Amino acid sequence: MLYEEPRLYPGGDRAIEVELGDGMNFGLNFVVHRLVGALRAARISGVEDLIPELASLQINYDPDRISFEDLGTEVRRIHAELGAEVTGELPSRLFSIPVHYFDPETTACIGDYRSTHPDKVPDPDLVGRLNGLPDRPALARRHAATEYWVAALGFWPGLCSLLALDPRTRIVAPKYNPPRTWTPKGAIGVGGALTCIYPDRTPGGYQLLGQTPAPIYDGAQRLPAFRDSLALFRAGDRVRFVPIDRDEFDWIRSEVEQGRYEHERVDYQVFSVDRYLDWSRSVGVSAKDRT
Amino acid sequence: MSPRTVHVVKPGLETSVQELPGRVGFLEQGFPVSGPFDPWSFRLANLLVGNVRDTAALECQMIGPALRFEAEALVAVTGADMMPTIDGTPVPMWRTLRARAGQHLELGAARSGMRAYVAISGGVATEPVMGSRAVFHMAGVGGRALKAGQSIPLGVPDGEARLAAVPEAIRPVFPSDRRWLVEALLGPNDDWLSEEAIGMFFSSDWTVQAKSNRTGLRLTGPAFSFAHRALHKSPDHGQDPSNIIDHGYPLGAVNLAGQTPIILVNDSPSTGGFINPFTVASAALWKLGQARPGETLRFRPVDRAEAGELRRALDRATSPDVLVAA
Repeated sequence: MLYEEPRLYPGGDRAIEVELGDGMNFGLNFVVHRLVGALRAARISGVEDLIPELASLQINYDPDRISFEDLGTEVRRIHAELGAEVTGELPSRLFSIPVHYFDPETTACIGDYRSTHPDKVPDPDLVGRLNGLPDRPALARRHAATEYWVAALGFWPGLCSLLALDPRTRIVAPKYNPPRTWTPKGAIGVGGALTCIYPDRTPGGYQLLGQTPAPIYDGAQRLPAFRDSLALFRAGDRVRFVPIDRDEFDWIRSEVEQGRYEHERVDYQVFSVDRYLDWSRSVGVSAKDRT
Repeated sequence: MSPRTVHVVKPGLETSVQELPGRVGFLEQGFPVSGPFDPWSFRLANLLVGNVRDTAALECQMIGPALRFEAEALVAVTGADMMPTIDGTPVPMWRTLRARAGQHLELGAARSGMRAYVAISGGVATEPVMGSRAVFHMAGVGGRALKAGQSIPLGVPDGEARLAAVPEAIRPVFPSDRRWLVEALLGPNDDWLSEEAIGMFFSSDWTVQAKSNRTGLRLTGPAFSFAHRALHKSPDHGQDPSNIIDHGYPLGAVNLAGQTPIILVNDSPSTGGFINPFTVASAALWKLGQARPGETLRFRPVDRAEAGELRRALDRATSPDVLVAA
């Protein structure tokens, strides 16, 4: 559900939370990114950080340069100019991320967890069963059959929340309870209706389906994709998962280790939400109601 | 001429390079702002050695490092009392010290407070990463915690600083009764709590748990009750009353995960799926960096106007004219 007016909540004396609606869906998230883009373009003095999230954004500001009230007025004015309709377009880069589904490292990680939690159904079996898929190849095909929208980044440097764009490929999964103490770097996980890629070896709670050898985070900034930031994605990018076998996985990993790997990325595309919503309806399910 | 470096003899407990204002502009990719946990003590240490107050310096936690100066420099130690010595002789904190090449500065375990700051004339000159030398050591952003044998590069001092001291009356006070009064504002998600829970938060004692660090201060205290909004919400928000659709996390927010409040600080997650009913005033964040496990926090409600007054007072308390000649 989209609000007519943004709802502003102070986060101390240096931040504002701006809620644009109540729910988790693509249309609402697009409106968040459209407002963030307009706020960034407005170059408001005193704004330090803009954090787009699923249904809201956070603005960090310097209160000695702009007041909460004045910043709120600017946000409402820009929001009113954009309107409350889910319409418009945004530049959007498209990344191809190679994935070895059901790879040995995430399999070992799942096995490690099951050694202390023996009732845990192995992740691919659980996710396949809950989504009515007959076997692992069907699960991999379903997961790789859509482009994903980078809805938000956060919690850990480079950790991304990906929303599947094709309504026919919906996969949902519960989160681990209790969470894992470790996850392999590059693991692909699903939790709720989101997919994530683990940027580094960290704890985690999403069900693991595979692993990418292509880094989405590079602490040493060795690869060309990381010249400006240690993190690969920006919100509003799109991701396509490309299934690979072990030989290709190992080859890509060696290219990464030698500092030669170049991420496959196209920069020239613009994402039209109007055309997307038309298409999404035409394939049978309203994207507005999707989670 | 000897290189302007400091050699790490003993690293201490997760000693790290910090700088102000921290890593600004990358929260949207999940990078916390980092920077010194107690910016008040940090800035005074820099002023004492003639640096601009926001210059990169060392943050020491609980157990300080042992450092050997490879070149002559001015140095100052502020913050938690870690009983510094130079070549084994006790030296005062909150005062400019001269270290000659080859001399050892050693800090012990904190007797009061949690974090001490070591500023050196010329500043720490590590390579900035994404615009800042501030270290998020758990993710290795901007570097890691110090390691024994490591060499820390120093910048070139801008002229000769005078020897100075910070009078005791204007230093940050670490309460001897181990009770901290922390100013906090309502919001952003105070409307997810019941009226009683809001009153309870400001009238209860909160104990700092041992599981507290630069990624968050965990508190123990009474249980929260929730408002209609938390109890009757779209399933997209999650199952627990304290769950919310992932949103941004303000610095200083009192994050409620289940029934455990976690104050989000310099290296905390940038976003997540729990509510933030209260946020500590920015001028009171330094207290969180000095509160020790087992100590008590009491929160005092302030509005934005008062938070602004506190901010201006802290700015004056960290200006060069607070120093006296020593």
